[in-house]
Amino acid sequence: MIAAIRTTRLPNRAGIVLPSTTKAWPSVGASRGLKPKVEWSDLIGRVASHGDREAFRSLFEHFGPRIKGLMLKAGCSADEAEEIAQGTLIAVWRKAGQFDPASTGAAAWIFTIARNLRIDSLRRHARAGRFGEDADLANMPDATEPADVVISRVEDTARVKAAIDRLSDEQSKVIQLSFIEERPHPEIASLLGIPLGTVKSRIRLAMNRLRDLLDEAP
Amino acid sequence: MSITHHPPEDLLADLATGALGEAEHLVVGVHVAGCARCRRFVQAMEQLAGEALENAEPAAISDGAFDLLMARIQEAPPRDTRPSEARNVDEEEHRDLPEILRRCRLGKRRRVAPGVSVQPIDLPGRGKARAFLLQSAPGTRMIEHTHTGTELTCVLKGSFSHAGGRYGPGDFDYGDEDIDHRPIVGDEGPCLCVVAMIGDLRMNGFFGRLISPFVRL
Repeated sequence: MIAAIRTTRLPNRAGIVLPSTTKAWPSVGASRGLKPKVEWSDLIGRVASHGDREAFRSLFEHFGPRIKGLMLKAGCSADEAEEIAQGTLIAVWRKAGQFDPASTGAAAWIFTIARNLRIDSLRRHARAGRFGEDADLANMPDATEPADVVISRVEDTARVKAAIDRLSDEQSKVIQLSFIEERPHPEIASLLGIPLGTVKSRIRLAMNRLRDLLDEAP
Repeated sequence: MSITHHPPEDLLADLATGALGEAEHLVVGVHVAGCARCRRFVQAMEQLAGEALENAEPAAISDGAFDLLMARIQEAPPRDTRPSEARNVDEEEHRDLPEILRRCRLGKRRRVAPGVSVQPIDLPGRGKARAFLLQSAPGTRMIEHTHTGTELTCVLKGSFSHAGGRYGPGDFDYGDEDIDHRPIVGDEGPCLCVVAMIGDLRMNGFFGRLISPFVRL
């Protein structure tokens, strides 16, 4: 009897549950029942305007594990990756007021903070020989203003966005795999299902195409 | 004067993702700070990196991390952690250096050959590359040299020319073992460059042997 109920309920439940849990990997905010298209910029805005803790928690739960994941892929140790993730979120809290949604996307802004922390972490590493006590979060340098990186002055937002939109999915993918996830070529070959010998030229073509698109007048 | 020589895209991409060593980061950064075209490329890479971050496979963060983080935010007020103001502005001639360079600590300037002086840049970490400012008098013919590594150069003032063309302020030159350099400094004034050098330089002339000890540092 009980078994019968179980067997009738199970497929039913699976039928309900499966479509709503996005198992696939562009998973955006799936964990907390947020709608698939969360406006991260709005959440950052709420943190900026009134220190909205729940908005910040959503940002933390979405970006924290992803920053850690990306940093692990880029060769950081688990400790470093987690520290960079946490340091990044601390900076998001503190610098939320400086975020300008008109000039850059939330994810790109958060990436640049994480990148700057990674640079600082590598340098501290080199200086101290290993992670010492000054690696404490409170001593994290101001991540939005790193010692010597004065890149990311956003000016041609529309032009940059238009160029990226015109890049094919395959081309942006190959650039991301190679430069952002820093995957070795054999891995890129198997992920994209292309021969190893063509990975290099695909990357080159994609980079040249991006350069050309950016050079074209808007 | 407009910039005509740019870094290869790979270097711009590595700058955007923070993958460059310190010395290379500095020299490419100096170029990008003055070059709108390369800044756009770096921005595009940052946008792509943002997308990659959105799609990254999440890695579990330790339990209770959020509450710990909130506690840390509350107990540690934002510190003003701007880098110490150690710099070399006392040298009149360096006042107009790009901001990135003015924030660096510069070592002692040394004459290494007639008309050529070098000022090391102290970098906090210990990358594989060295960085320095290279100043040469107008008309100096640099020693013929080849590399066993790579050399990244960004012109700050003046100009030089070699087989690859003329390099003026903001221009970026990338040299590796395949390239045989024999740059000649332009007549319009002293040429100041910021250089990152990975590996060794092989000097092919008399002066080369003279300055080799310096270059190995």
